[in-house]
This record gives sequence, structure tokens and C-alpha cells, in this order.
Amino acid sequence: MMNFLIATGLGTLTAGGIWLMLRARTFDVIIGLTLLGYAVNLFIFFMGRLRVGAAPIMVDGVAPSLANYADPLPQALVLTAIVIGFAMTAVLLVIALRSHADCGSDHVDGADVPAPTAAAPRSRDTP
Amino acid sequence: MNAALYLPWLAAAPFGGALLLAFMGNSRRRCAAWLAGAVTLATCALVAALAPAVFAGEILRWSVDWVPALGLSFGFRVDGLAWMFALLISVIGALIVLYAAYYLHQGDPPARFFMFLLLFMGAMQGVVLASNLILLVVFWELTSLTSFLLIGYWAHRADAREGARMALAVTGAGGLCLLAGALLLGHITGSTELDVILKSGDLIRAHPMYVPALVLVLLGCFTKSAQFPFHFWLPHAMAAPTPVSAYLHSATMVKAGVFLLARLYPALGNSEPWFWIVSLTGLATLLLGAWVALFKHDLKGLLAYSTISHLGLITLLMGLDEPLAVVAAVFHILNHATFKASLFMAAGIIDHETGSRDMRKLNGLLKFMPLTGVLAMVAAGAMAGVPLLNGFLSKEMFFAETVAKEGHALMQWLLPIGAGLAAMLSVAYSMRFVHDVFFNGQPVGLTKTPHEPPRFMLVPVAALVVVCIVVGVAPQLTIAPLLAVGAQGALYGGFAGTLPDYTLAVWHGLNLPLAMSALALVGGLVLYFGLQRAVNLHLFDHTPATPKRGGRDLFNGSLARGVALAMRATTGLQSGSLQSYLLLLVLFALAAGCLPWLGHDSQVANTARTVVAQPAVSLAFVLVWALAIIATLATVVLHARRFTALLLLGAVGLTVSLAFVYFSAPDLALTQILVEIATLILMLLGLRWLPAKSAPSVTDSRARRWRDALVAGSAGLGVAALAWGVLELPFDSISPYYLETTKLLGGGANAVNVIIVDYRGFDTMGEITVMGIAALIVHALLVQWLPRAAGAPLPGAGAGHPLMLALTSRLLLPLAVMISIYLFLRGHNLPGGGFIAGLVLAIALIMQFVANGYAFAGARSATDYHGWIGAGLLIAGATGIASWWFAAPFLTSTYDYPLWPLVGAVPLASASLFDLGVFLTVVGATMVMLLALSTPRASGAMMEAAR
Amino acid sequence: MSWPHWIVMPIILPLISGAVLLLAARRAPALAARFALAATALLLAISIGLLARADGGSISVYLLGNWQAPFGIALALDRLTALMLVLTATVAMAALIYGCGGDDRRGAHFHALFQFQLMGLNGAFLTADLFNLFVFFEVLLISSYGLLLHGAGAARLRAATHYVSFNLAGSALFLIAVALLYGLTGTLSMADLAVRLSQLPADRTLLAHSAALLLLVVFFVKAALLPLYFWLPATYGAASAPVAALFAIMTKVGIYAVLRVTTLMFGAGAGSLTAVASPWLPALALATIALGAIGVLAAQHLRAQIGCLIVASAGTLLLAVGLARPDTVAAGLVYMVNSTLAAAGLFLLADRIGYARAGAGDALRAAAFDATRTAQAVLFFALAVAAAGVPPLAGFIGKAMLLKAAGTTAWALWVISIVLAGSLLLMVSFARSGSVLFWRPAGASPGAPPGGAQRLVAHHRAHGAALLALCGLLVMCSVYAGPLSRYTAATAQQLFEPRAYIAAVLGARPVAAAIDVRREMREAAKPGDAAK
Repeated sequence: MMNFLIATGLGTLTAGGIWLMLRARTFDVIIGLTLLGYAVNLFIFFMGRLRVGAAPIMVDGVAPSLANYADPLPQALVLTAIVIGFAMTAVLLVIALRSHADCGSDHVDGADVPAPTAAAPRSRDTP
Repeated sequence: MNAALYLPWLAAAPFGGALLLAFMGNSRRRCAAWLAGAVTLATCALVAALAPAVFAGEILRWSVDWVPALGLSFGFRVDGLAWMFALLISVIGALIVLYAAYYLHQGDPPARFFMFLLLFMGAMQGVVLASNLILLVVFWELTSLTSFLLIGYWAHRADAREGARMALAVTGAGGLCLLAGALLLGHITGSTELDVILKSGDLIRAHPMYVPALVLVLLGCFTKSAQFPFHFWLPHAMAAPTPVSAYLHSATMVKAGVFLLARLYPALGNSEPWFWIVSLTGLATLLLGAWVALFKHDLKGLLAYSTISHLGLITLLMGLDEPLAVVAAVFHILNHATFKASLFMAAGIIDHETGSRDMRKLNGLLKFMPLTGVLAMVAAGAMAGVPLLNGFLSKEMFFAETVAKEGHALMQWLLPIGAGLAAMLSVAYSMRFVHDVFFNGQPVGLTKTPHEPPRFMLVPVAALVVVCIVVGVAPQLTIAPLLAVGAQGALYGGFAGTLPDYTLAVWHGLNLPLAMSALALVGGLVLYFGLQRAVNLHLFDHTPATPKRGGRDLFNGSLARGVALAMRATTGLQSGSLQSYLLLLVLFALAAGCLPWLGHDSQVANTARTVVAQPAVSLAFVLVWALAIIATLATVVLHARRFTALLLLGAVGLTVSLAFVYFSAPDLALTQILVEIATLILMLLGLRWLPAKSAPSVTDSRARRWRDALVAGSAGLGVAALAWGVLELPFDSISPYYLETTKLLGGGANAVNVIIVDYRGFDTMGEITVMGIAALIVHALLVQWLPRAAGAPLPGAGAGHPLMLALTSRLLLPLAVMISIYLFLRGHNLPGGGFIAGLVLAIALIMQFVANGYAFAGARSATDYHGWIGAGLLIAGATGIASWWFAAPFLTSTYDYPLWPLVGAVPLASASLFDLGVFLTVVGATMVMLLALSTPRASGAMMEAAR
Repeated sequence: MSWPHWIVMPIILPLISGAVLLLAARRAPALAARFALAATALLLAISIGLLARADGGSISVYLLGNWQAPFGIALALDRLTALMLVLTATVAMAALIYGCGGDDRRGAHFHALFQFQLMGLNGAFLTADLFNLFVFFEVLLISSYGLLLHGAGAARLRAATHYVSFNLAGSALFLIAVALLYGLTGTLSMADLAVRLSQLPADRTLLAHSAALLLLVVFFVKAALLPLYFWLPATYGAASAPVAALFAIMTKVGIYAVLRVTTLMFGAGAGSLTAVASPWLPALALATIALGAIGVLAAQHLRAQIGCLIVASAGTLLLAVGLARPDTVAAGLVYMVNSTLAAAGLFLLADRIGYARAGAGDALRAAAFDATRTAQAVLFFALAVAAAGVPPLAGFIGKAMLLKAAGTTAWALWVISIVLAGSLLLMVSFARSGSVLFWRPAGASPGAPPGGAQRLVAHHRAHGAALLALCGLLVMCSVYAGPLSRYTAATAQQLFEPRAYIAAVLGARPVAAAIDVRREMREAAKPGDAAK
């Protein structure tokens, strides 16, 4: 039952995140990616299975085994993931507001009507 | 000395010359010409030096390994056929250089011209000398590329550029087919060495892949030698300077095609498919070329089509698939090279001295340029097959072969008639060349009065014409041995084999071929003059009985259509819409995730499952879970109102950290909370420069939202399914090792912290690097940025600061510092550590700014936080390197328990030093980001102040 | 190269020099440039040394923190890794030399970001741990964000918005895949994963299969496989020249990762996961080649054309990997070296042309040139020949080897026809571009380009040096195609014998000395405990 609830929670977070990620405004995309980040972090965390009241902090006299402690490895991975996620969010946010300022729109394509980029990229011609 | 050692030099000489020319300025014209001449003469000498061995019947070989994996050796192999071509290439090359030295106009950069010419010559030599089929392909494509440069030499002319591109496209495409064919032959025979391939004809013909290989190779040959229907590029290559045309279309470029036909005849020839494909293509080309040539007004145009026609003749002879026919083909290759080169040069002289190549203007030139006239007439006679000239002999043999060919009822009639017809036409257009240019009234509307060219311009023409005559009069004494070795090479690849018996003589007695020749001559004359009388040829502006839209229009049309199509496709795919890109990514991932389950009944997986114990559901958990779900959905629904959305997002983050607490991950919970706060501050600051609401967008229709909801929903389902699937499985991992050794070897009770600073410290190093870089980017983007509209005022920024807040925050700061130090120190044994401590400090500092305004705080803490980042990274790196002095790998840690006053025994692992690096980087990075975001200009100024 | 720590240097060196540059750059820009050049040159030297070591055939393993795999993170140096290191350092050197011609001054932190980018790339090539691979992917990605934005401008911001968002989604997927694999096998070391996946209980194979495919999807995002490459041409087209040139290596990271995991973890020994991608990867790769070539034909700007060229060559490489045979992989690696160098060179040249044709930039239309026209025409000819894979330069050899190898597979007909057709399209397109850029006559010579001719002349040296170096290397690769192909053949052999790699990584033992240190520390700890 617990597993099922966990799964549904993860599913909801993921779905919500992806849906927002597919929106047309940079800020919505950022929120979406943040939600997705929560989902992913929890996902990693739960891959170490569910343990209640067994923090992986060694207590003298308690046998150091997965029977008595939660799996520390996924927790360490999540720490790394959280930090990286924070950094990425910050960068995307700043890009978003600079792009909003420079392109005059907070649409992910810099304008509500996307101009084709394939044949003629929007690259400044001469340096 | 062994003649084979000359081979590399022979192949290298032209490229060497080209290299020298590349470094010679275009100013000194004579030098360029002399240098090119010297190089070509040198190659002539080298070719001559090979003669004794070749005529003694040896095969000269020289080779080194290049790419064994590809069966590609860099080597040369000279038998009779290769030598004959090498001779043509170098001798005619020399004559062309002499001719070009006088032909080039003042404006034309000579060094470039001769460089291209030598490059091409080298490529051509490579084709005929190569001992490996793939090496041959390499040189083959090189001829395409260099001819591209030669044809485009007069780059300012549109027709030159177009002709060059067309030639490259057609012959290049053929080359690629040839490559495929070569690889196929290599696959069949197990080697691409000519020695092997030429010996295994039976094996090849018996192989199921024979026909594909044959077709691919023939595509290469036909495109190169301008066979129907690929002939259209050749006339447009006439945009090149005449010396180039004279070289490319007499002895080299187009001859490469027929060379390869002859070269691979022992391997591919002697079969039904060969006979039908090659002979019919040849016949068609022969007739088409001859017919069109008659109606061209441009001298070079006429010669171009006559070239096509003669190449068709040679191809047809190869296609007849009879030893004697092959001999005739080789013979005609020689003859055509001589008379066609001289004709082109003559045409060039006329163009050069009259300023026109239009036969409707050029008339009666004989009295202006008698010498040129005579030479041209003799050469034209050879082309027409007039007795006592070399063209006559090979044409006789050709007739004989067409008559003699047996077995195919249809062909028995088709061949002789076609041959006769073509001969008649060739007489006609040769006659036109002579009569229309040198007689037939007076020149009309010429820009300058014609006169003889400089002596030396005539020398090459004369030399070749003399050859035509000498060979034509006394073939047995002159050409016979050369023809013998050439034919030997073509028939048997230079290996032992008896030539068919043939006699080279002007007079074979009264026989059918002779009659055909006579008929052709008379018929041709009648045809030409008849046409001039009846329907003055000058009035045709289009060849009758040919489609209005030639191959060129087809080529250009299809190219243009192709480009247009490509542009539509590309702009369609690379639409520049992030939404569609991301949607594709999600769908692709979804497909990838589901693929394994298709066809499998997922129950299969479940049946074998041992049920594992899972924690019981508690009320607390359900509440957290419900809160998470609700907050998420609310965020999604209310996302347009951004401030609200942010708060809801914070709520979700809170539930996440609660989940961490509940499932025994205190470190994560702490980190999550702090990061959550930092993120919120970040976003609030950022939001000041963004619209407060998400405006609806045209790219965000209702339909799209529902479609996305469907996609996102299924993606969520997928993740949920995967998670559930794994959670139900029993767990076994490497983790017990950490639990067992964290205290003993890691020196800390908090396994998580020990993992991130020790076991997997390398991850953490990468992680703080990411953090630092992020700060750099944020700073770089904002520091010189002056927002158009200054964002909404900061909470607390500007004037009146709530006194209480200000005071408390100032009081709180030292406390926060203490806490962060405490968290830092205990990190190794209890939740905490450098990262958490760093965030605490950073947040405390940023509260200062919020509470007291930027001027105040900035003045007090004017620090260049970039320094913190750099220092942090350096410390982390240095700690890692330090372990090298213990002869231990990077990041090896060690620890001790020094007794500290008051605090007591504090674990001090060298990892803690590393953790210090983390701490500094985190504080630095967070501060840089938040400051830059809070007031771009202020932070920029602050950075300056700090320096 | 007997000193054990050389292996970690390709990561540490850029990290340290990056940090130093971060501290020093804004104080002494000129000095910073020299320092960066020196560091990169040293990196190149070290990489070559490591190549020499790897060519011995043994796989060297480095246990970070002296923790035995799979518990700690291990670096492993085999032939493939060494090749990637050298290629990266080479391209980086050329790009940096070019960048020192002025581009580095066009925004903050260019040199630091450049070094961090190298750190990320090298780390990704060296690490033998799946999660650590993720971390280094993030390092190289975030540096690439910074570099892409170098010099800002609306176009770059737009491109960056797409590039960053797309890759963040990719990273999320990466984490899910890694976590799944951990949840199923309980390990992260790729070698250990390979072992455990090969003996996976039946009730886990389907989940593992999903995880494997999701992981590959992530790598395909980097490697630019259809339908995940559409962002690429615009992004690369927007980057500044040296950055774009360096990005030529970025798709290769994805291809490296695909090659690594498909041979090591999902290779012959992987039981139910064997050839996890085989049925559909070649098909998608062929489609990628076709569409890439079509894009090259359609392009209106030289940069966009090169972007599509990169897609096409990525397709060729993925095809070589997807056919999953030693000989195809060997061919692909030969092709990779050449196509990477050629693409990098073309990006730099496109920028050079922009300098030389003030106003017209790299647009494919006639415009007045300055005096450097001829030189650039020659360079373009050489680079285009190399890029299109036509003789005599070695791009052709790689393709020919691929055709030869693929000739015996079920895909033969498709491979031969599409690869050759692609080459033809590239040849025709580049002929068109060249004749438009250099042949078609245009008005009088341009006015002084922005920044003034003076500055320009000053930069010619750096730019010319970088371009000549790349062309020279391409020629060398063609002349020494034999040794190169021998090396790649040995590389492929090694990849398809994963047992050696696994044994090397899991067999590596901590260094004795360090363990002693720990023990002695434990002794020293006793009194501390007593005091507690």
C-alpha cells in the first residue's frame, strides 16, 4: 500500500512537472522543471526502498547493516542532485529574465510566433 | 636501376610542381609557364624511361601500405595500357602547357591556372597508374575535384561556375557509385589489388553480385566519359579556357571513363550483360553526339558533341566484347586523343585571334590564317576518317567489327547501320567545321581582324597533326608496337595472352568496311552540302529531333526543386519551437520506456515476485502525501498567477523535505529546506523582472494543453509504474559496506556525509564546480545588464526599513554564523556538513541585505564572492592533491580526533578540509547569484569596490 | 607515464587552472590568455602520453579516495577513453588559439568556463561510475551554457533557453535511469553493473530493459539522434566561433557514452539486455544522416550548414555504433576523428569569413571580400573535402571502411545507398557554398569591418594558426590513416571484450600506503576516544 501511494505521488509530481515544462512561458517551464526535479530526487531516494526511523547515522552497539539503517547511498546521490538542480534552476531563471528583457517577450521561443531557425539561424552575422 | 622505382616520382612530379606554383605569385607569368613546362617534360622523360621494361612485356610495380584495414595500398602498377595512357597524359599535357602559355589572357592569374592544370594531371596519372582499385577511386574523385577547379577557372562567369558544379555533381556521383562497385569487387575477390581482380574474371562473372558490381562500375565509367544519358555536363564544361577543354576532352578526363572500361575488361567483360549495356549505351551516345554536333554553331560546342560521339564509338567497341574490337577501341583512343586535342587548340586559336567561336560569324578565315586553316583541316579530316589519316584506320576496324559481330539477330543489322550513319554524320560535321569556318564567304561582325597566332601557339597543333598523318600513312612502322602493348593490357591486364591477329594497313583490299567508308564520306558530303543548300544550317537555333529541355535544365530543375524541398523539410522539423522539441523528447522517452513491455505480459514479471515487507501506512504520512498531491495540482492549475504558483511550489518542496524526514534522511531534509528557501528568494528576486502573470500564447491553444496533459499524464503513469515495480522488489546493494566502514575508515558516524566527502567525494567536487560555474554564468549575464524598467521594489529595499527586522537580523547574523560553523563541524557525525553550513550562512547574509538595504550591507560586506568560489575550488582540489604526498590516490582522506577546548573531541578528517572547500564555494556561489539577482548594477559595483 | 596520478590529471588540471583563472582573469586578461593556452597545451601533452599508455592494451584504473570499486569512484583508461581525451584536447587547443584572437574578451570568464568545460568532458570520458558520469555531464553542460551565452545577445539567449531547458529535461531522465538501475542492481560502478545485469533475476529484466533504453535516450539527446537533434543547428549557429568549434566534440560525448554502455553493460554478456538497441538504432541513425544532409543542402548560412553537417556525421557515427560490430565501430572511430576536426575547422573558418566579409557574415550569398579571400578559399576547399568525406582526405577512408564493414550486414543496401547519397549531397552543397562565397563576383571591397582593420590584422595570426593547425592535422590523419585505423581496430576489439575492463575495474585494489595511514590514524584515535 505504502509503495502504491509513493508511486502515485511520484507520478503526480512528474506529470505536473512535464505539463508545465511543455508550456509556452519561460517561468512556467522553470516551475515545471523544478517540480520534475522534486519528482526525480524522490525517485532516486526511494530506489533505496522505504525505511522509517532508521537514519544512516551510526549508533554504537547497533549492527551496521541495511536491517538497521536506511540505505545511505541514494541519500548521498540525492544531495548531489539537489545542489545541481538548484544551480541549474538559477541559471535558467537568469537566462529567462535576460531573454525576456532582450527579446521583449517571455515566450520560450523569444516571440509568440516562432521564426524558423533551421535554414537561417538567428546568429549575429559579423562579430 | 630498376625502372619501377621511377613510378612514385612519376606520380608525384605534377603535385610537386603544383605545390611550387602555389607559393609562386601570380605576377610572374613566364616563370609559372616555364615551371609547369619543366614538370610536364620531366614526367614525359620518366614515362619514356619506363618504355624498355613495358615493351619487354613486364608489369612494373611499386607499392607501400596505406590503410590495410580497407585493403587500400598506396601503389602503382604499369602495364601496356597504363603506360599508353601515361604517355598520352604527359605528352599532350606538355603540349597544352606550351599552348596555354600563349593562350592565357593578361587578366588570368597564370600560377593558379598551371597549378590547377598540374593538380589535374597528377590526379589523372594517378588514375591510370594506381595498382589498387580503391586508390584508383581516390584519384578518380580527385580528377572530379580538380576539373571542378579548372572548369570554374573563369569564376566571374556564371556559366563557368555552373558548368563546374554540374561536372562535379555528375562525375562525383559516378565516382561514389564506382566506390561502391570497387568495394563490391573487393568483397567478391577478397582484394582490391588490380593484380588479383584482373586475374579473377571467371570468379567475378560467376558471382551472384556480378551484375550489381558491373552496373555500379559502369555508372562510374559512363558519367566520366559523358555517355548518354549523362553526357549533358560535357558541353557545359566548355566554359573552361580552351587549353583545359583541349586537355580534358581529348586525352584525359573523359578518357578516364573508357580507360576504366578497358582496364577492368578482363575482370568484367566477356559476358551478356556487359555486351548489352555497354554496346547499346555506346551506340546511343555515338549517334546522339554526331547528330547534335552537326547543328551546333559554337566551334567548341561542335567539338564537344563530336567528342561525346567518339567516346560513344569507343564505348561501343568495348561493348562489342570481341578481342579485335578491344584492339580497335584502344587504337581509336590514341587517334581521337591526337586529332581532337589539335582541333580544340585550333578552335582556341581562332577564338583567340578573332574574338568569336560562332560559325555564323566565322567564315572564309583561310586567307587570314592559312597555316591554322591547313592544320585544322587535316585534323578534321582525321576526325572524319579520311584515308591516309589515323582516324581512317581505326574507323575501318570499327566498321569491320560492327559487320563481324555475330549472334544477335537484331544487333547484326543495328550495328552496321548505326555505324555507317554515325560515320556519315561525323563526316558532315567535320565538313562543316572546315567549310563553314575557312570558306563559305566572308567573316561577319568580328570585333577584330583575324591573323595568325604567335608561332609557338601553332607548334603543338602542328606536332599532333604530323602524328595524325604519319600514323595514317605508315601505321605498321609507327603505332603498331604501342598499340600492341596497349591492347595487351586491355585484353589481359598485362598478363600473358595472345593478341588476336590483325594487320595495320591503309589498304586491306576491296571489302565491306572500305565500301562503308566510301559511302560514309560521300554521304557525309552530300548530307552537309545538301543541308546547307536546302535549309541553311545557320538558321537552326535548336537541334531538330531533340527535346527542347536538355539534361542541363533537368539537372538544374531537379536541383532547385530539391533545395526547395529540403528547405521546407528542414524548416518544418527544426521549427524553432521548444515546446515541440520537448514534446518529442517526452514521447521518445515514453516509447523507449514502454518498448520492452510490448508483447510481454507484465504479469510474467509479477508472478515470480517474493512479497517484501514495507512500512505500514501512518496518518502522518497520508497527510504529507495528500498535501503533496494537492499542492502539485494547485501549482499546475494556478501556474498562470506566478506569485501564487511560487508559494505553492514552496509548499510542494516542504512536503518533499517532510518526506525525507519521515523516511529517515535528516541530511536531505535539512538541505531540501535550505535549498527551498534559497530557490524561493531567487525566484522572487527574478520575478521582479518578469510579468506577474503568464499571458496566454498562440502556441498554447486549449487543444494543445489537453494533448500535453495526455502526454504528461502517461509519462507520470510510466514513472509511477517503474517506481512501483522496483519498490515491490527485494533490495540488495553495495551499501552495507558504507555502514560497516564509515566509522573505521571514513572517520564519521554520518554515513551520508562520509559518502559525499569521502567515498564519493569526487561527485561532490563536480557538484561544487557546477555550483560555482552557475554563479559565474548568473553574474556574467547580469553584471553589465541595465534592466530597461527597474524591477518592482525589493521587499525592504530602498528607504524605510522596519526597525525591528533590521535590528533582529543584525543580531541574528552572528548567531547564524555560529550555527553554520557548528553545523559544519558536526557534519561528519550528525546531519550537517559544508554544504548545509554554507547555505545557512549565505541565507543569513542575504537576509541582511533584505533587512537593511543594499547600500548598508554592501558597504559592510564588500567582498568579491568570486574569490570565495575560486578559493573553495582550489582548497577542495588541493586537499585531493595533498594525498599524493601519502603516495595515495587523489582525494584519499585521513582523520584524527584532536581535543578542542570546550567542544571536546571533534573528529577532524582531512575530508573536513575538503568540506571547507565545499563550504566556501557554496557561500560564494549563493551570494554571487543572489546579489547579482537582487540588484544587478549594485552587485556589479560591489564587485568593483571589492577590487 | 609510470606516475600513477597521470590518469586523474585531465580532470584536475582544468579544474585547478579554471579556479586560478577565475581568481586572476579579471585582473590580468592578457596573462590569463597565456596561462589558459599553457594549461591546454599541457593537457594535450598529458593526453597524448595517456594514449601511448593505453595503446599498450592494458586498462589502467585509478581508485579515487583509494576506495575500491564498486564502493568508491574509479577512473578507467582504455584505448577509447585515451582517443577521446586526445581528440578533445586537440580541438580545444585549436579553438582556444582562435579564441585568443579576440573572442575571449567579449564577455566575462571565457577562459575559466573553457577549462571547466574541458574538465567535464575529460571526466565523462574517464569515469567508470554511472552516477559520476552524470555529474560530469552536468559539469560539461553547465560550462557549455556559459560558453554558449558568452557575449550574450538576443539570438544567443533564445538559443540558450532552448538548449538549457532541453538538457535539463534530459538530465532528469538521466537520473531516473541511473536510479532505476541502482534500484534493480544496487550498484553504480559500470563494471559492477555489467556483472550484475548479466545475472539479473528474470523478474527484473523488463524493468532493467526500460532503464537501459531510457539511459540511451539521454545519450541520444547529446549525440543528436533523430528526433532529438532539432535544437542543435540553431544552438551551434548562435555560439561564438571558438565555442562552436569546441561544441564539435559535444555530440561525440553522447556517442562515446552510447558506445561505452552498449558494449560494456548491454553488450554480448548482458544476458537479456544484449543488443538492447540493435533493431531500431541503425534505422534512426540512417534517417538522421539523410535529414542532416538535407539540412546541409537547405542551409542559407554557413554556420547552419555546419550544424547540419554535425548532425549528419553524428548519424554516421551512431550508425557505426548501432551496427554493433567491431569493424563498424573501428570505421566509425576513424570517421569521428576526421569529422570532428573538419567541423571544428569549418566553424572557425565561417567566423573568419564573417570578419573578411563585413556585413555579409556567413550568409551564403555573394559579398565583397578583403584581401584574405584566396587563403580562405583554399582552407574552405580542404575542410569541405574532409567534411564531405570525399577523397583524398581521410573522412573518405572512414566512410569507405564503414561501407566495407556494413557490406556484410543485413543493412548493407540501406547503409551503402544512404551514406553515399549523403556524401553526394554534402559534396554538391559545399560546392554550391564555395562557389557562392568565393567565386560569385560582388561589389567593391568592404569598408573597414567593426573594430577596425587594425585589430583585425592583429587577430589574423591567431586565427590563421588555428585553422592551419586543423587542416594540417586532417592531412596527417589522411597520410597516417593506416596507424589510425589500426588503433581504432584495436579499440573496437577492446570494447567488444568487456571482460578485461570489468576485471580491471573490480580487480583494482587500494594502495597499501594509504591504508597504513588510516590504520595509524585509528591507533592515534584511541586516546581521543578515551577522552570522550
